Amino acid sequence: MFSDDVEYSVIGKRVPKADAIYKATGQAKYIEDVFLPGMLHGKILRSPYPHARLLRIDFSRAAKVPGVKAAITSADTTKVKYCQMPISPNKMALADEKVRFIGDEIAAVAAIDEEVAEEAINLIQVEYEILPSVFDPEKAMEADAPQIHADSPNNIAAHFVRTFGDMEKGFREADLILEDRFTCPPVAPCVLEPHGCIAAFDVAGKLTIWTSTQNPYNVQRALAIILKIPLHHVRVLNTTVGGGFGNKSTILSIEPIAAFLSQKTNRPVKILNSRHEEFTTARTRYGMVIYLKTGLKRDGTLTAREAKVITDNGAYNNKGPGITSVTCNRIGNLYRVPNTRTEAFVVYTNNQSGDALRGWGGPQAHFAVESQMDRIAEALELDPVDFRIRNANQSGDVTPWGWQITSCGFIECLQEAAKMVDWRQKRKNRPLGKGIGIAGAIHTGGGSTGTHGKGNYSEVSLKINSDGTVHLTTGDSEIGQGSDTVFAQIIAEELGVAVEDVKVISTDTDITPVGMGTWGSRVTFVGGNAAKGAAEMAKRQLLEMAAEMLEADISDLEIKNRQIHLKGKPQKSLTLSEVAHTCIVKRGKPITSKMTYQPEHTQAPDPQTAYGNYCPAYGFGVQIAEVKVDLETGRVKVERIAAAYDVGKAINPMLIEGQIQGGIAMGMGYALLENLQVEKGKVLNPNFCTYKIVNSTEIPAIKIHLVETIDPYGPFGAKGIGELATIPTAPAIANAIYHATGARIKDLPITPEKILEALKNRREGKQEEMGSRGKA
Amino acid sequence: MKHRITLTVNGELQDIMVESHQSLLDILRNEVGLTGTKKGCNSGDCGACTVLLNGKAVNSCLVLAAELGGSEILTIEGLLRGRDLHPIQKAFIAHGAIQCGFCSPGMIMAAKALLDLFPIPTEEQAKRAISGNLCRCTGYTKIIEAIMDAHKFGKS
Repeated sequence: MFSDDVEYSVIGKRVPKADAIYKATGQAKYIEDVFLPGMLHGKILRSPYPHARLLRIDFSRAAKVPGVKAAITSADTTKVKYCQMPISPNKMALADEKVRFIGDEIAAVAAIDEEVAEEAINLIQVEYEILPSVFDPEKAMEADAPQIHADSPNNIAAHFVRTFGDMEKGFREADLILEDRFTCPPVAPCVLEPHGCIAAFDVAGKLTIWTSTQNPYNVQRALAIILKIPLHHVRVLNTTVGGGFGNKSTILSIEPIAAFLSQKTNRPVKILNSRHEEFTTARTRYGMVIYLKTGLKRDGTLTAREAKVITDNGAYNNKGPGITSVTCNRIGNLYRVPNTRTEAFVVYTNNQSGDALRGWGGPQAHFAVESQMDRIAEALELDPVDFRIRNANQSGDVTPWGWQITSCGFIECLQEAAKMVDWRQKRKNRPLGKGIGIAGAIHTGGGSTGTHGKGNYSEVSLKINSDGTVHLTTGDSEIGQGSDTVFAQIIAEELGVAVEDVKVISTDTDITPVGMGTWGSRVTFVGGNAAKGAAEMAKRQLLEMAAEMLEADISDLEIKNRQIHLKGKPQKSLTLSEVAHTCIVKRGKPITSKMTYQPEHTQAPDPQTAYGNYCPAYGFGVQIAEVKVDLETGRVKVERIAAAYDVGKAINPMLIEGQIQGGIAMGMGYALLENLQVEKGKVLNPNFCTYKIVNSTEIPAIKIHLVETIDPYGPFGAKGIGELATIPTAPAIANAIYHATGARIKDLPITPEKILEALKNRREGKQEEMGSRGKA
Repeated sequence: MKHRITLTVNGELQDIMVESHQSLLDILRNEVGLTGTKKGCNSGDCGACTVLLNGKAVNSCLVLAAELGGSEILTIEGLLRGRDLHPIQKAFIAHGAIQCGFCSPGMIMAAKALLDLFPIPTEEQAKRAISGNLCRCTGYTKIIEAIMDAHKFGKS
């Protein structure tokens, strides 16, 4: 078993979050809580048609509404097309000639209050030429499909193939080949706090923008590009973020629209999304169709895995190709598979675009692979846990894709999860309608290189105050996951101070170092390493001064509990504040440090082949779900979930549990409930009443076991798990439902109707559309 | 059409003019200036706007302000005594029941409504009390634990 056998003061402790007191009392300021003198409210006119040419826009009636201060179309903007990722940008803040999805931004108004703005929007008259539209990505690829972007024939935004090994050999060696088709629909992120911003241009043409974001620097860069102003003229202030999950990692259109309106009116302009706009325009998890084919030997060894992935890119480019390449690389690297081929088509449709969302393509890949792994285990009459252990990634592996697996507790997680639930008994003794299923997961535990066309670094700046307290500034954002608290713990441990002695500032582009932001479960690992390094440097400076004051050797000193003392002679000591005061005030020597951490053992994947070790620390997790299915209604109750996670080192177990419990609820929604019902491009259920996310009465009992593999590169051995938390849930539930009912559902969400239909088909002896083929 | 209403918010008398269609949520956040109560959906589905109206938990986005003359409202801001946290707030913080915090004011008010009647609730009671409050971050587990444990953090 793993252990570092180290006694820590603060690492590993269940420290409450520093910002919790503000959030518990209503004092935390979210974007909706910020009011500025002279502030106007902006509203957006959105297309009611999924695909149309804009012929004429008439503001004459709208402009007459008292209290309207500005009305703009794309003609009033720079018409710059923007995309955060290094792919073809094709989204303008306001549509120029065509609208391409229901909700596409056409015009905007700034007025003295929301009501006046809303009234004005409703009075804008637009003449449209309606164009044919397409909503299914597979249909959108056909020759006669309507063309959505002039430069993308067959609506293909991206197409790539990744091959590793010898596919022909791999399938030839297989005793059994299974093929399945899985569908994962787009789902809504459902951040509780809607997107919003306030843009304020000053008289000198400098812009300040308040917004709820996972990366203020992404917002800064985007607005500088779109508005054609220098970076130092854009200041982004991150308000308290009420949920991100990836959905607030880049801008929507509301930010540049607010900026253009502010530019025109010379007043601050606030735009807040309504919940309706959140569901219809704030983007979704990318919907995908996955054709998966796997070859294996009788003894359970995987020989080859081939996949075709078709992603619904939506109307405009955002992160479709990047996320689809993650789906492909998970298909290629989850478990040991010597030969893999993945082909991906990322296809435009007249739906709203997709976005980053917890897991970044991983949930789709895992639903497919782990459902099929279960089918394989059954075909070979192998226990699903044993079968996975047999093929699990292990420490020291270098996968065919070039991934270097350093710390890895995959097998331990499989074993511990099975132990937690008494797996073998429950698998054998199965009362009708009750089932148990397992799924494993791999994900980045420290971000990745090359994903956004750049590296994977974090920079922090640290100063010790003259009373021994600490200020840390970082470009990585606190979005509720607790990164500010984790930084404080790391620094407190390193500097021998209390957690409450550390203040973390992560919210102002004028003050903090440039950050890459919060994504890819990277902040604990990359940001944490930067914080630890900066603390080590500051500690050195403190010890140098203390050595002088105590007339001792630096190597004989240690810092603990805000005291610097001689090792073994605690009576010969100084307080940290005495030393800091001497340094800073008496000697005029500030104690500051700066550290940039970028992992050295990672590379951006090769642009052609995708080969490369792109993540500094891969995380692993396993969930086992126990369900009870009502065979008459098809309703599923998830009774228990056992979760075992390789976290490297649990810096704050309470925060980690929170991630796992929250991830399970999100994964449950993905598996069973969440269904964005779209008909001809129109979202039919754009509200929490008819789009269901898990509520408090539906959650299972959750048992958690953390495996500490002590990653060689992580701060104190830690890796990230924020996304891993949600990735195995849907396939674990799907596998449990199969175990309970014999119904294998390959199309999310697994609704009661689908279960009843599958049970009916089994009773009537109907075959599955894609099955297994064996060799004699 | 504007109506004049007088109501008590967190123990203080408020004398204000409201439009016919304005919700309690809107007047709390705008006219009274208490922004702790959040607007998550404005259609009564998410519970982020939960306050206590005459002791009962309500979605303030669904309550018409004009009808509230003489009412007593308790919002999240009303739980503090000076800078002393309410036991429910202490329990939420200690249990790690707050991540992004957007649902927290509504959750805490819904919890208060329950705890005022049942100071030591069962898990089932706690789950049902917050069944109208959506949370996307925590998965509810630690919120439920905090509610069941709140009585250990002091007297309300």
